[in-house]
Amino acid sequence: MNDTQISEDEQDILQEIMNIAFGQAAAELAEIINIFVVLSVPYIRMIEAVDLPGYIQTEFSEFGNISIVEQNFWGDFKGTALLIFPAGSGKELVSLLDDSPAAEFQYSDILEKETLMEVGNILIGACVGKVAELLKDMVTYSPPKVIVEDHPDITMSKTLFDPANSAIILKTVFCFNERNVHGFLFLITSHKSVVWLKTALADFMKQYE
Amino acid sequence: MIHKILIVDDSPVSRKMLKSCIPKDREYQFVEAGDGLAGIESFKKHQPDVTFMDLTMPVMDGITALMEILKYNESAVVIVLTADIQIKSINRALDAGAFLVIKKPPTRERIQGVLSQAEAVLRKKS
Repeated sequence: MNDTQISEDEQDILQEIMNIAFGQAAAELAEIINIFVVLSVPYIRMIEAVDLPGYIQTEFSEFGNISIVEQNFWGDFKGTALLIFPAGSGKELVSLLDDSPAAEFQYSDILEKETLMEVGNILIGACVGKVAELLKDMVTYSPPKVIVEDHPDITMSKTLFDPANSAIILKTVFCFNERNVHGFLFLITSHKSVVWLKTALADFMKQYE
Repeated sequence: MIHKILIVDDSPVSRKMLKSCIPKDREYQFVEAGDGLAGIESFKKHQPDVTFMDLTMPVMDGITALMEILKYNESAVVIVLTADIQIKSINRALDAGAFLVIKKPPTRERIQGVLSQAEAVLRKKS
């Protein structure tokens, strides 16, 4: 195994870290907008960067239209976070963030985008932030961007994802129980993070030896 | 006295992390299970003094397993160790009969503390 591949043991550690991080993110979201998030066991996979767009499109082929909140993050841990919902989920979530009385409530596409952006910002920020904290890193973020797509064509940053290299996908499926909305959070880290990540994971586990 | 500890968690890393936080001043016997259903079977087979239970697991979740264990033995001491730290999840676990709920990742101080609490309760019961 070379230094840009992660072993099964390292994947297990990363899975547990992602589990802790998404738990933290869900708790923060629950506190802010009073929603219960049903969590699932995270999934980790190493993939060739060139296959990333196809992989993501395959994952969501059954949904048809989807809404994506995209946010890049930079630190030693660097990559792209994608929060993906079936299109229309934003409508379900709007009322959670809107304090106006029902009579004054007016739905709009802009409001839906803002809601998705807010939910995305909280979940991605808390999740990526916790991964970074556990691995003793500090990250900065690009502003979140909402894309509502008929046919998602995910264009990965060529700076972060050199098609000649590999990337690690960390996927968590979640469900907002009260609104019957489910979604997916992907953290996709670039090959540039892998060497650092291997050391950081080993350091993380040293405290448990 | 706590002799036997059952750890129910689908993550081998999480089980290792927890075991490393358990004080080394005594020789404990560990039993491990990778999901809620296997956890119930292990509980019935090994009769542990204390059980650590994750919540988010495949096959059977931790709340269901916790309730089944308490149905089988109402005085079982089950400590929930979870990444799901939403207030509702914590309350659900406590309502289901968890002895305590602690958040991941575990620390030596926290685990030592909960084991002392568990031991005090077990001593009273015996």
